[in-house]
Amino acid sequence: MIPEATRYLKATVSLFSPNIFLNASKLSAHGAPSSLQTRRNLRVSHCLAAKVPPPKKPREKVEIPGLEMVTYGDRMHYVPGLAKPVYPPWEMSFKDPRYYRSPPAQEMALYKDKPCYIFNQRTSILEGVRQAAWLTKTQVSPGLLPHLISLAAKPENQLPDQDERVQNAIKHSRFWDTTEPRPRKERYSNTLLLNLLHLCASLQPTHPAVGRRILAENYSLAATWKRGEDLFQIRGRNGLLHCSMDPLPRICGEQEVLETSDWVLESFYPVSPTIDLQQVSVYKEEMNYTGESPPGFPEMELSWSSSNHLSPIGSGFRGEYPYPHAHTLYFLETSDPNCKLRPEQFRAKMIMFTFGNALARAHKLYGTQPQSLLECPITVQAVGTNGRIFQFLVFQLNTTDLSGDDGIKNQAWLDEDVELYDFAKVRPFIKRKEVKVPAGLAGYKPETFSKFLALYLHGAA
Amino acid sequence: MAARIRLPLLLPRSFPPFRSLKHVHTEAAVKEPQYPPIVVSLTAKSKSARLRLNEERIKMISSSPVEEKLSLITRNQRMKFVVYPQTFSRNPDRWYQHFTKTAYIPGLPEKFNPGSEGSQSAADQPAAPEIDGAAFNEIRDLVTRVILHEHWHKTRKRKPFLYKHQELVIGPFLKTLVSDLTYSLAKYNPLLRLSSLDLSPQVNFYWRRGKRIIPKGHRRGRQEPTRFQIDDHPHSQIRIPQQLPQFAPLEASYTAEVPEIHLAPNVMPLFRRQYDNNIFTGTKLPDPACYGHTQFHLVPDRYHRDRLARQQHSDQVEPFLRANATASLFAWTGAQAMYQGFWDYQDVTRPFVSQAVITDGHFFSFFCYQLNTLALSVETDANNPRKNLLWGTESLRLYEGVQDGAVVGLDDGVLRLLVQFLMNRPHS
Repeated sequence: MIPEATRYLKATVSLFSPNIFLNASKLSAHGAPSSLQTRRNLRVSHCLAAKVPPPKKPREKVEIPGLEMVTYGDRMHYVPGLAKPVYPPWEMSFKDPRYYRSPPAQEMALYKDKPCYIFNQRTSILEGVRQAAWLTKTQVSPGLLPHLISLAAKPENQLPDQDERVQNAIKHSRFWDTTEPRPRKERYSNTLLLNLLHLCASLQPTHPAVGRRILAENYSLAATWKRGEDLFQIRGRNGLLHCSMDPLPRICGEQEVLETSDWVLESFYPVSPTIDLQQVSVYKEEMNYTGESPPGFPEMELSWSSSNHLSPIGSGFRGEYPYPHAHTLYFLETSDPNCKLRPEQFRAKMIMFTFGNALARAHKLYGTQPQSLLECPITVQAVGTNGRIFQFLVFQLNTTDLSGDDGIKNQAWLDEDVELYDFAKVRPFIKRKEVKVPAGLAGYKPETFSKFLALYLHGAA
Repeated sequence: MAARIRLPLLLPRSFPPFRSLKHVHTEAAVKEPQYPPIVVSLTAKSKSARLRLNEERIKMISSSPVEEKLSLITRNQRMKFVVYPQTFSRNPDRWYQHFTKTAYIPGLPEKFNPGSEGSQSAADQPAAPEIDGAAFNEIRDLVTRVILHEHWHKTRKRKPFLYKHQELVIGPFLKTLVSDLTYSLAKYNPLLRLSSLDLSPQVNFYWRRGKRIIPKGHRRGRQEPTRFQIDDHPHSQIRIPQQLPQFAPLEASYTAEVPEIHLAPNVMPLFRRQYDNNIFTGTKLPDPACYGHTQFHLVPDRYHRDRLARQQHSDQVEPFLRANATASLFAWTGAQAMYQGFWDYQDVTRPFVSQAVITDGHFFSFFCYQLNTLALSVETDANNPRKNLLWGTESLRLYEGVQDGAVVGLDDGVLRLLVQFLMNRPHS
């Protein structure tokens, strides 16, 4: 019988047997009552507590090769003294997906001896941004470049009544969106991001290049690279992606790109750089895929369409996709209680996924062979938010040669923990009969939205 | 001395007889009331006290600010019929028209007819550019790209699970279509630049219509108004800070016909529940974008025309769409009107107008609704000649299908209607 089924059967038998012992709470880790835990017999009238006898160890079976055991299989019933017959495991003659047992990893078709380290959307790496920088061979600089921020300072790139409209958007997402007093966190962070995107997109009449973009949801990513001896992959489905028909212009000049080869990557010895990454032995090599998958489709790691350089059609999409360039990724905090990312890990996730998108595009354009300097570096942006605090990231991929620790590095500019407003309270915060924080929106900072708008309009203004 | 005067037996009216003659040619003096008016008691256990209580309550509600008005109207919770805009009942459109006092007019108002489009555009102000051939071609390209992005370029490993196709495939397509069209048309319609786009909003409305005699219980024999509540979840909606202009004058609705149904609502079937009475347009009162422009609804898998065809209920496809439009748009316009302070006893002074597009991915139906009256309860509806109006089209196919990376059979007429719907704006 199937081991799972036997376990369930034992559980039900124990429930329905007449001499019921309340075993449920006294089970040890491996499911059997341990002899140290007392078994309480509360439904009987004799002694109410008894020690559970220790589990019996079955007699050791000695197998002598060549010696045929005489079994009671032919007799069709148990005979004391004869051995128990051993039959080959029974398998169904037809394929039934309800009773399918997958083979062990070693027998799978895609098994490889060398393990691959996979970063997915639920990974929370220990060293945060430092580890992400080491894995992607990136030089992370704090703060965005001034020429980006000045993009939003120009009057033609600003919305009419910008401050008022942004504050209305915040109030709508934090207060006015529901019949209850306040909406829940995942709802308001989502609504806030969509409202801000709606405000930015209303600039399309004056900036026609904004119309050459499309917003894609539940975007699937797969990218592979080698770093030293190890193989790394990014696989995952992250939130929103703005795809564009035109690529983003390069942020950094040639000279600064060449200067990055002097910069040394920050090491965090003795912690291994592969810590917290999912280690798999069954994987497909050379996965480079940027595509769409609607929600509700389980992430099947091993069955995507054929890899980049083999199929003539292209990675993930059929035909010529009109929006091949990734412009901006938007990250929201997931509502999954098992996967709560701290701010440092959230920023690391942003860096990894931005890098993954850029790398997949680079592999598509320049092939999978590592190139030490790309003629046209690929720029991708990312914005992450939790409903109040924003993280802005601009990533420039300069090289796909990631095996060694020296040479030209990629560059990232990270603006951490930028607040959009201080408080948005439904009821005022009163301490010792003094109003500390009034009700409503308090402490609005207009610079944050300017940065958001600047990143949105980058490449279109 | 009193005894000296000999009084006649019959005292004349004016005594003494001739003294009042000098007042003959003057008018009678106006008598000031010396006591306050005698009204019915408020606290007595009588029917007239009940009536006076109601009148006082109506006066109190009419004179309070809007937020308090809404909370006073929706304060008491009682058993009410929950009206679902998307329902499995047979011929729900006639029932919903009766509940909301709506008259259905097939076709769209003259504004959207191709004949009068020329006069409409001539009257438009020159501030916003017009949609000419080149612009329309751009819009057609955009729609083609959106259709291909969803149905061709996206690779899916397997078909969506049972009853998830509309939610997982058509939902994102409609969302991309609505947002991209709104942003492209913002160039031609400045109102869309100030609009708010809600995704999966909530729209609620609570009203009373008709009455019944309570058959059993301690209140047996008394009259009870029938209460209704709509809790709608459109796919997306566009809200604007200014009101759309009316499609037809208020007086034009006097001659419209509303179907009368003499059966009780629970025959439909409609079920009663008691919970919070909500009146909500998608956003709370302080929001400046409190008027509605267009709602987009998705036909769920359960009511998809293929499934109805398999069950031999193809004739129910159009009534389902009409009922959905009636209920959703009545709730939305009613809530918008209540946000402006109108209610049962203070009827709307101007008509509230909104539009809706109901689609299942291939077929699009367009509806326009004009709310002329909120006075639907028994007392206020007695002499109310106004009726609400719903204009609507049959289902029109936008495109035949997608083959080899190209959209086959894209219908320009449907696209033009969609563009005209989004271009609707008040003449300033």
